[in-house]
Amino acid sequence: MVSMTQQPHQQAFNPYTENGGTILAIAGADFTVIAGDTRQSEGYNIQTRYAPKVFKLTDKAVLAVNGFAADGNMFVKKVKQRLEWYRHAHAKDMPIRSIARLIQTMLYARRFFPYYVYNILGGIEEDGTGAVYSFDPVGSYEREACRAAGAAQALVQPFLDNQIYFKNQTPAPGTVFPQHLPLATVLSIVIDSFTGATERHIEVGDGLEMYIVLSNSSPTLQDLQGLRGVEEVTSTNDGERVFIVRRELKKD
Amino acid sequence: MNSLAQRFSNNGPLAQIGKATSLVSEDDDFSDAAWGSEAGFGSVAKGVPTFTVPNVPDPTAFLRLHTDDHADPSCRIKIQHGTTTLAFRFQGGVIVAVDSRATAGSYIASGTVKKVIEINPYLLGTMAGGAADCQYWETYLGMHCRLHELRNKERISVSAASKFLSNLVYSYKGMGLSMGTMICGWDKTGPAIFYVDSDGTRLKGDLFSVGSGSTFAYGVLDQGYRWDLTDAEAQELGRRSIYAAGHRDAFSGNTVNLYHVKEHGWDFIGNYDVNKLHYDGPGDVAGSPGHGYGYDVRTVGLSSANPPAAAASA
Amino acid sequence: MFLTRSEYDRGVNTFSPEGRLFQVEYAIEAIKLGSTTVGIKTPEGVVLGVEKRVQSPLLESSSIEKIMEIDRHLGCAMSGLTADARTMIDHARVTAQNHAFTYDERIKVESATQAVCDLALRFGESVHDEEAMMSRPFGVALLIAGIDELGPQLYALEFCYPSRGYADLNYPYPSRFHTDPSGTFIRYEAKAIGSGSEAAQQELQDKWHKQMTLKEAQTLTLRVLKQVMEEKLDQHNVQLAQVTQSKGFEIVDETSLKQIIEEM
Repeated sequence: MVSMTQQPHQQAFNPYTENGGTILAIAGADFTVIAGDTRQSEGYNIQTRYAPKVFKLTDKAVLAVNGFAADGNMFVKKVKQRLEWYRHAHAKDMPIRSIARLIQTMLYARRFFPYYVYNILGGIEEDGTGAVYSFDPVGSYEREACRAAGAAQALVQPFLDNQIYFKNQTPAPGTVFPQHLPLATVLSIVIDSFTGATERHIEVGDGLEMYIVLSNSSPTLQDLQGLRGVEEVTSTNDGERVFIVRRELKKD
Repeated sequence: MNSLAQRFSNNGPLAQIGKATSLVSEDDDFSDAAWGSEAGFGSVAKGVPTFTVPNVPDPTAFLRLHTDDHADPSCRIKIQHGTTTLAFRFQGGVIVAVDSRATAGSYIASGTVKKVIEINPYLLGTMAGGAADCQYWETYLGMHCRLHELRNKERISVSAASKFLSNLVYSYKGMGLSMGTMICGWDKTGPAIFYVDSDGTRLKGDLFSVGSGSTFAYGVLDQGYRWDLTDAEAQELGRRSIYAAGHRDAFSGNTVNLYHVKEHGWDFIGNYDVNKLHYDGPGDVAGSPGHGYGYDVRTVGLSSANPPAAAASA
Repeated sequence: MFLTRSEYDRGVNTFSPEGRLFQVEYAIEAIKLGSTTVGIKTPEGVVLGVEKRVQSPLLESSSIEKIMEIDRHLGCAMSGLTADARTMIDHARVTAQNHAFTYDERIKVESATQAVCDLALRFGESVHDEEAMMSRPFGVALLIAGIDELGPQLYALEFCYPSRGYADLNYPYPSRFHTDPSGTFIRYEAKAIGSGSEAAQQELQDKWHKQMTLKEAQTLTLRVLKQVMEEKLDQHNVQLAQVTQSKGFEIVDETSLKQIIEEM
């Protein structure tokens, strides 16, 4: 009888978890590198050593997602669906700047029930320049030259600030810092970022996937020739080209 | 959707937001697809964005639990916060100055945020509070200002634009939006500033500063403010006030973005590194004092920490 | 001729046994009564011209508005029940703004045209248990002019009905856009709609050429209108507008219009 008069009580609704890992993207003059590790964990438990966090959207746009993996995967799926609809409706691929705005509106549509996802969008702008757009979980966004997000953000971002923006460095007398770095330099900075983060963060490691988006007829293509294990994943001719490079990271 | 509306109708103030919300459902994808032209895929534009709300008795408490980093620093979803923004009206138009730091907890998430939102060539909005809330709704406001212009063959007044925004955010009152913004522009009545925030406040005024560093900015601003400031003096005052906030408020800093609204619309005046302002000043620009803003230049040789050259060498 | 139709012209959703929608055909008749409207595409941009019927000397001709801006890169001229066009143009404006909001880019001319056509086709239709939005087809035809990454374009939207010969798919110049009440649109190089459209279209067909300048197109538009108008053409009884890459949509003001007319 007592139970009849009691108010029903509800467990706190907690639909989120944190799955670790780190992503980053760096824009060059006519290319962009978007990378992420492949470890997925929950607490101190490694769930899998290969769960991709970086996804090719089109030949000129690659999206990296980090945070709650289920939300991230669902979000990528929905973005891809919207890109497909746009292609049918407007008979063209969506420019990256439009994808960035679309992602804002999609994230903000969940303002009151957010996706627990940090997004970094990288690729080639309509004018052929490399572009990186970074987002917060509810859709505020900004175009930048480089950005790290995820578990090791606080480890990686200061390193990028120093190596990409030359923060706290003084150029040698009579020289200036370059506006953009060549691909080979960027790739080694990316690899160093992840090996470094793997050394010092328990949620980072196992594998590294780097997507390279090259603008149409970019001379940077030559830098890729000798690169070990480079794989092309471009889907159309005579447009931007997309490559993947994979590297092992420590597995302990 | 109906069950949600019913639940809200029993739930006091939340009843009013039923119109703008939709439950997580199969319908979900379609509702935001129709939003924006799909030319055949969801053919009739609705003009009202819809939002997904979690299926729990108190969606607001849910949101607060997971996103508010003041109440709970360990919460998962960190929304960018912290700011100093200011705007003031004077003889030569409106000066708008802001910092560029975004913080998530104590982490500096970005030092290059654009906190002045260029709504259109003659209207500016500033960003304080939730970055996404300001960016999204002020862009949305821009869209409606353009529609107003097309329908009425006349630019919208600053007053009307700010009222549109304040009515809009008021309809979401209690849902967790966080924004404190100044809508600045020049219309038939001359230069105008309206302060609008997510509580629903809307104030007309000559001088405002918003954000965690606003008290520091006010300190400098109130001292230096006059109606008959020259353009150069006014720009310098805006710059120096944001510098002061960047210097004393940990949640503000990095760089200053300065805008000047005149009769023909706004001009971007410049971006200034706060650290550089401290040591070297703004450089060769209108109103520049020709030296750093830091007080060191005024204490050279006058204090024990900064002794005269003779005493130091002795 | 309409006497035998009484059984099948009540509902907009009812086909006659011959497979016709009479309400749609009546809408076409409404358009046929409309003032003549002309559009011409050139490599520099698109020109739109429309006859204003100034029925009374007391009427302020500047208050007749038959060419409207949809967005900076899109304009629209109408013929028929112009009140109906307001609904369609507002829809186009909202669609264009929604597109800009969602994708941070200007909507393509064809996509905007498509959106208007989608609306035109929704007569008698109800969605999600709501009341039907419209009770009859729009009695207006539109010329939509614009510029996007594919260059200047002109579309016509009128009630396209196979038996009527409107918007004939075998038309020799298949490259501008024109919307019609049955919800189809066709792209044209030059197009005339409204009461004088037959003569006007013939004239366009004779005079139009691919490398026309904007100036030539303005003159041709006015010539064609002059030919089909009963009154003497002046700056008060026609309206001229253009969409160009550099200046976007603009209505030619009366002073400039007067000058163009004098130079004709």
